[in-house]
Amino acid sequence: MWSRHAAEQQLYDCYYAERSGETIDPRLAEHLLDCASCSARFASIARLLDEIRTDAAAEADAVFTAERLRAQQQQIARRLEHAARPARVISFPRQAAPRTLASATVRVAPRWIAAAAAAGLFLGVALGASYEWEWHAQPRQARATAASRLTPVATRGTGHVDVAADDAFLSELDAALERPRTRELIAYDALTPHVREVNTLR
Amino acid sequence: MSGDVRTHTLGDELLPQEGIAAPRRAPAAPLDDDSRIAVEIRALVEQSRHDEARDRFGELVALHQKRALRIAYQYLRDAAEADEAVQDAFVKVFTHIGSYREAWPFEVWFTRILINGCLDRRKSQSRRERWMVSGEISTADEARLSAAARPADPERRLLSRERRERVADAVDKLDGRQRTIFMLCHYGDCTPREVSAMMGLNESTVRVHLFRAARKLRGLLGGKL
Repeated sequence: MWSRHAAEQQLYDCYYAERSGETIDPRLAEHLLDCASCSARFASIARLLDEIRTDAAAEADAVFTAERLRAQQQQIARRLEHAARPARVISFPRQAAPRTLASATVRVAPRWIAAAAAAGLFLGVALGASYEWEWHAQPRQARATAASRLTPVATRGTGHVDVAADDAFLSELDAALERPRTRELIAYDALTPHVREVNTLR
Repeated sequence: MSGDVRTHTLGDELLPQEGIAAPRRAPAAPLDDDSRIAVEIRALVEQSRHDEARDRFGELVALHQKRALRIAYQYLRDAAEADEAVQDAFVKVFTHIGSYREAWPFEVWFTRILINGCLDRRKSQSRRERWMVSGEISTADEARLSAAARPADPERRLLSRERRERVADAVDKLDGRQRTIFMLCHYGDCTPREVSAMMGLNESTVRVHLFRAARKLRGLLGGKL
């Protein structure tokens, strides 16, 4: 007979041993019979764990009804049937396959190219023809005025002011070309041969 | 599987893949019914008698299906996922029956495959939950549960639902290894010895984990349901 109370782990061990059908330590079994406190603790543990177990089983059994179990069995059987069957590779006809592939690749590209080329040619010819037709349709005089409008006409300066202004502008341009105003570019300018220098060398 | 040497870790959970852990069964122990059937199926497959092997496998499915679904459902908390996990486990077992050795009880081998599948699914579930609203139980499952909880007493139904959720939450709070051991013992009806064989752990270690898990659970649930 034990003089002290059973440890908690002993009570749990006792519960699992009882459930598994294993033999319980006889001294502990005797103690549980004699000690009301330990017996109550054991009963509390066993009740809770039993409830958890039965609740979980009931819950799962409610979800997985007999019908669902049957359906699952059938599903497993189907999957096994497929699993047992080795994967079949469908072979392409040996003769036809390369020819079909080659013809497909050869045919598709020229079709697009030919269509695009034909469309381009048609548009080009149509536009060209219409332009030509428009050109020929215009009277000769109108064509002449149009040509004169398009041709740049050199105008002569009429006044003294215009010439002076031009000269001033050109001299400014010369001065600008003579030496660069940007300090950072002076070195580059020194290394770059000028047009006028090239001309003088000739 | 046979050549697939991998382990799963989830928290401190570690479940060696089948074929790695040393068998803890006494070599002279007589074969269980399921183990004997598995050996026969293996022989049939080796003789390329696949149709017969499949028919025989149906017996194994019928023997373990309910238990497997209970474990998978408590693990995954989703009927569709549990259904698929169990199907996958059975298909894996059949396709790798050649690697089954009678030194291991079939139940141990099968449960290990099932748990590894469930761990994979839990991982992918947690990845999904990062992006989506986590569902407890699907509406269809809830409807099925409600229909099963006859008589239709709304108060009792509500209480039992709350109870289920409390237990599930508490079990979920257990460490990975503790949770697996607790689930295998309570939902899979496995003995600590069987769990030790499934997990490749000493029986005494399993008992310690089981005790800690049960004590923690009791504390989380306030000692009662």
